[in-house]
Amino acid sequence: MTSSLVRHRIPLACALAIAVTVVGVKALRREAARPALVWYGNAVHPYITEVRSGVEAFARDTGTPIHCTVGQEWTQDNQNVNVEALSTQGYRGFSLYPGDPAGANALFRLLRGRDQKVVVYGAEPALPTPALFTVATDVKKSAMIAAEELIRLMGGRGRILNLLEAVTDVNTRKRDEGLREVVAQHPDVQIVQTLSDMMQMGEATTKIQSALAARAEQIDGMIATGFNPTVAAASLLTEWHKDPRHKRIRFIGIDTHPTTLQAIRDGAIDATVAQNPFGHGYVSCALLRLLDEGWTPIEEYQFIDAGLVIVNRTNVDTYADAVRQITDRILLDMKSKCLAPPQPGTPRP
Amino acid sequence: MKRTDGLCLSFTALFCVLAIASTTFLSGYTMFVLSRQVAFYVLIALAQAVCLVVGGMNLSVGGIGNLATVLLGLCIERWQLSPWLAVAVALGFGCASGFANGWFITRLRIDSFVVTLSMMFLLMGLRSGISGGQPYALPESFTFVGQKAFLGIPCVFWISLAVLALIAILFERTVLGRHLIATGTNADAARLAGIPTDRMIVIANVLSGFLAALAAVLWASQLGSATPETGDTWLIVSFAVAIIGGTGLSGGVISASGILLGAGIFMLIKHGLVELKANPYFANAFLGALILLAVAIDRLRDLFGRTDPRRGD
Repeated sequence: MTSSLVRHRIPLACALAIAVTVVGVKALRREAARPALVWYGNAVHPYITEVRSGVEAFARDTGTPIHCTVGQEWTQDNQNVNVEALSTQGYRGFSLYPGDPAGANALFRLLRGRDQKVVVYGAEPALPTPALFTVATDVKKSAMIAAEELIRLMGGRGRILNLLEAVTDVNTRKRDEGLREVVAQHPDVQIVQTLSDMMQMGEATTKIQSALAARAEQIDGMIATGFNPTVAAASLLTEWHKDPRHKRIRFIGIDTHPTTLQAIRDGAIDATVAQNPFGHGYVSCALLRLLDEGWTPIEEYQFIDAGLVIVNRTNVDTYADAVRQITDRILLDMKSKCLAPPQPGTPRP
Repeated sequence: MKRTDGLCLSFTALFCVLAIASTTFLSGYTMFVLSRQVAFYVLIALAQAVCLVVGGMNLSVGGIGNLATVLLGLCIERWQLSPWLAVAVALGFGCASGFANGWFITRLRIDSFVVTLSMMFLLMGLRSGISGGQPYALPESFTFVGQKAFLGIPCVFWISLAVLALIAILFERTVLGRHLIATGTNADAARLAGIPTDRMIVIANVLSGFLAALAAVLWASQLGSATPETGDTWLIVSFAVAIIGGTGLSGGVISASGILLGAGIFMLIKHGLVELKANPYFANAFLGALILLAVAIDRLRDLFGRTDPRRGD
């Protein structure tokens, strides 16, 4: 007995230290003030940085304290670990991007079970969802608008190189479907090849330049519905179009990386779809604040289209104003179209 | 001082610091979510540790998790099989993948690094090709194990404790376990002593595949959907927790209690980074430094330790 105690003295001492800490901390600690809202970005990414600028603008404009944090990896399990840790700290509302559209719902359910409200930004989770709102681009509609614009630029005929980003992202499939639906409506247009799985710039550059080398003569237009292939294609087409012997390839991409915008200014590419990441951040936090003040959604779940703007040479330096106007319009309509005011006597948090 | 005593002290120090620094750390809910995550880390680390112990490695733990999840989803959602049968298919697939790894390593004499790296790409590619990135819906009843608790402790934690206990018995009380350790300690000497080392390597890989598939099934149960990306982040976690837990990189050393403590320390650090609002842009740097520290300690322990090198504790 004694020798066993001696042999296990360190684990026993550790157990005792933990017990003393638990008892001591619980006895001494007073109820802390409850924090309010949290915005979580999945990982370091230009999109997340732009969303965060919207969140910070909202916090600045309204004086609402919002805890902003960014995860280490763009995966659902990493998001679960981090958000569950935040949830334990008693936040009342969460603005979250669904790491996985279906898997994220388990996390949202867990938060809702703790009376913590969830507004999703950036991408719609699988339906039905325990989230109250999604503020995002309608990805299929966006891809269809981009595809129509590209076909218009191509003169209504020709062959398209389709550039997809993450094949494991369900939104990529929606974008692909959108493009294919539009192409199916134009008998003189066909998709010559689809490239996918381009989550890094290097990977995207390698694949796109291989396609250009192999079948540039067969390509009349290119469409990219992801950030990385867009930037890679903008860069490669800038180089491609410097050579007067090369044929003109029409291109429309997505998002507003400086390389993409410069390629538009230079005339190397035609257009890009500007989403509204600023609005994804701003509007999602505005909704959370209203919910925290007692406003209630008029429906169990609502999708708020954060809008988009086609950026071309004519508006490349002024498109940001148009995007901001979309955000302002959503904010103006939000209370009347999406929420019901607090009932008299509802306790404020 | 035993190998696990240092881990015990580290765990205690981290626990006490977080308990004092955070107002919410000692809540029942925090303990629930932390213990549930620890359970997954334990299973993933064990999947790596059983290969490390025979002197190999398994880079395809995440890939096995990927495809096991997709198979689970296909069986339940598309083929309408019973969830029990779907779980059996997923676990069977894990064993088969492990067997394939072991077969290539032992029959064709290819290094485990090369075999499992290739297997990782193969499985991840199949995952993307078969699922198209589409998650599969699982019935509500399937989430019972992943989301519910028994006696206030998550069911998955009970399961991982049971698996840990079986692993501890295997390596400390059975001939098979001794043979596995002997294979990792010195394969030539083990072969001369009559131990079928090739068979031991195959068994270790089958066990590894099974554990990776089990983690995938339980993760799907927690999420309520079979998400193809399950397993994408397991590789680093599997090495980090196994090594922090005292599993020897050069084989022959494994400790079930060490892996439990390693998983706890890993989880406390990750949780602590969030709780204490550490700069998220440096979070991976913290983790990387931790793994490097663990490897360095492991090496120093080998160089200066006076403990029996055959056993973790």
